[in-house]
Amino acid sequence: MNYFVALALAVGFGLPLAVLSAAMAQGRTASTALEGIARQPEAAGRIQTAMIIGLALIESLVIYALLMFFLLQVKLPETEAVLKIIRGG
Amino acid sequence: MEEASPWLLFAFSVLVIIALGLFAILSTRRLERMPTSRRQSLVELVVESLKNFTMGIIGPKGEKYTPFIGTLFIYILAMNLLGLVPGFKAPTSGLSITVSLAIVVFLVYNAAGILETGFIPYLKHLAGEPLWLAPLMFPIHVIGELARPLSLSIRLFGNIFGEETILVILAGMTYVIIPYVVAIPTQFPIVLFDVFIAFVQALVFSMLSAIYISVAVAGHEAH
Repeated sequence: MNYFVALALAVGFGLPLAVLSAAMAQGRTASTALEGIARQPEAAGRIQTAMIIGLALIESLVIYALLMFFLLQVKLPETEAVLKIIRGG
Repeated sequence: MEEASPWLLFAFSVLVIIALGLFAILSTRRLERMPTSRRQSLVELVVESLKNFTMGIIGPKGEKYTPFIGTLFIYILAMNLLGLVPGFKAPTSGLSITVSLAIVVFLVYNAAGILETGFIPYLKHLAGEPLWLAPLMFPIHVIGELARPLSLSIRLFGNIFGEETILVILAGMTYVIIPYVVAIPTQFPIVLFDVFIAFVQALVFSMLSAIYISVAVAGHEAH
């Protein structure tokens, strides 16, 4: 039972932790990109392209965590089976 | 949620290849030196911007890699956008297509590095600067090199597969909001976002491939 508790906690908390750190990193990327554009509006096109690439690379780390979520989620037990075990046990 | 069969995704990718090939053949029919038809101007615009994009990253040696990077971009973009057409599934939403593309990119940039700078300098580039640190740096560099196609494939696969999954789940809620009477297409904002993601992922894949080629081709001057 402890195994399933730990599994459920990992499935529940793994992805939001990744999203939290990615959101902070992407926020910093976007804010420095905006500062750069505000300083030199003529470089706006290149800064915007570089910012999009940076955001996509940070996002890919969250996608790894999402894949882990999909892989672990199928290993979670069914609710009815667990309730039957709890009632029967 | 069952995985799509790789052969179904392969069939869709062959469909994309046939469609792109037909478009390419039809648009290069009667080429003129000063283009007066709109079709040729449009295709020239696309080719010119792809050439600027590739040569901006690789430099003057990028002329011969422009077809590869340009085709990669257009092919991945077309495959991503196929998932939005009702009845079709994006071929890049399965690991088979993305891993094969990443393996091709891996082979191309390694071959580019070996052909441009020779086999021994390429190995020395992997070994790092102080030659006595080679037994330590070589495995680290090799693992880092192997992580590149892995991250390329999983990034593309995860983004497109996640988008499609969200689309399926939201489309299943169409009749749920006002129960069974009014159909609200709840997946519409995600469809718009998916178009943006398709562009960004195709751009990121091809730009990273171009950066890997430029790093491999430049050799030691880049460091």
